[in-house]
Amino acid sequence: MWKLGESTVGRRVNLTGIAVLVFFLLLGILVSMRLTGLGRSVPNPVGGVLQRLASPVENVLLSVGNRIKRDTRALWSFDQVESENVALRRDVNKLTGENLSLKEQILAGMRYAALDQGEFRSPTLDKYAKVGATIIDRNPTAWYQTLTLNRGSADGVAVNDPVIANLGLVGKVVSVTAKTAEVLLITDGQGQVSALVRDSSGNPTFGIVQGTYKAGSRLTSTGHLEMLFRRADKVNVGDLVVTSGLGGVYPVDMPVGKVQEVQLDKTGLLKTAYIEPLVNFDSLEEVYIVKTVGGK
Amino acid sequence: MRRFLFLAFLLFLTLVLPGTLFHLWAWSGIKPDLTMLLVIYIAQHSRPANALAWGFGAGLVEDLYLGHFVGMYSLTLTVVALLTLYLNSRWYRENFILTVVLVFLVTAVGQLLVGFLGFGAGLSWSAGDIFRVVLGVSVYNALLVLVTYPWIHRSFMQGWLRYQAKYER
Repeated sequence: MWKLGESTVGRRVNLTGIAVLVFFLLLGILVSMRLTGLGRSVPNPVGGVLQRLASPVENVLLSVGNRIKRDTRALWSFDQVESENVALRRDVNKLTGENLSLKEQILAGMRYAALDQGEFRSPTLDKYAKVGATIIDRNPTAWYQTLTLNRGSADGVAVNDPVIANLGLVGKVVSVTAKTAEVLLITDGQGQVSALVRDSSGNPTFGIVQGTYKAGSRLTSTGHLEMLFRRADKVNVGDLVVTSGLGGVYPVDMPVGKVQEVQLDKTGLLKTAYIEPLVNFDSLEEVYIVKTVGGK
Repeated sequence: MRRFLFLAFLLFLTLVLPGTLFHLWAWSGIKPDLTMLLVIYIAQHSRPANALAWGFGAGLVEDLYLGHFVGMYSLTLTVVALLTLYLNSRWYRENFILTVVLVFLVTAVGQLLVGFLGFGAGLSWSAGDIFRVVLGVSVYNALLVLVTYPWIHRSFMQGWLRYQAKYER
């Protein structure tokens, strides 16, 4: 058992001497504390050496600690990080939605503006009222190529109204509800367009543009449209195909496509022109419905 | 000599770590007092004279390292060593739980003494601040016992920190 005042060998120690020593030690410490308090400049060479020795180590430890804390922040403050994450996700979703909405509005505005400025000129179109429409659906089956627009009979749209885009003909309305209209694309095998091809001297050659998209023949042809001619007809690659206005559905001079390739029939009497549409149907989002039926 | 150097190295670490790693793992500004913890461990495993000398020496080094109120930690850590020696002579030191309690109590007394001395030296700490710091540091030190004591006790018993009598050297 260890006792204060006794050494380990049991030698007697002068307690009064110890008390005096302790008293002066305490007094010295209190005086020292007073003299070296905050705001007092006291020479401290030993402390300076210790600081110089410690500072490189402290620097490394602090940087390592900072890295560890940063890397493990999610563990130490999981609730805070989780709530921040939820709030940020909500903000991101909200901003993404707003961003998409604004982008769509801007793009739609640009496309309508291009359409209004007239990528193509057709004086006959000016006679008709037009209504802008957005594509809200595409036919989910592989059997027909149709689009659903967000305009219907309530907007004056009627069956057989032509539908155009900025570069040319898209198709015609085949069914209408109060709020929607279904459009059959000219690339569909069911849609036929009375058209003409003008040669370099301006002479027209009439014919029927037929869509190649039909059951069983989707992959058989280059291009999406084709047109039959007699062998003697002057049709060349690059010629522009426009509507003739003879079918009673499409107004005259609406661009349909460009001749991409011309092939002779096996019999040698006819030739087929493969036509590349001017409109990119895959990226189509907005169109104009031309009110030829009820809205003249 | 090896024991002394290793203890000096540990003392150096106890001065450096609270301002760096433990500063990052502080709870509401509360950091452990590692120097106090080391002095408690030394006092548990040393003879009285050595324990008091280490307490005073470590306190003086800490005072000089901090550069202010020189003597505050010298006195405090000497008292901590003394109190540890007193409690350790009555409590069975192999008991892990008792060691945790001992560290908590001794740290609390040590921190109270620091608060008292600081108050006497003109520092304006409120009673609430002192209570919060005393309790927080004591709990932190007691928790560190769970991690550090098995290792340091083994070292004091049979490792680098084992005291060797002169006839053994």
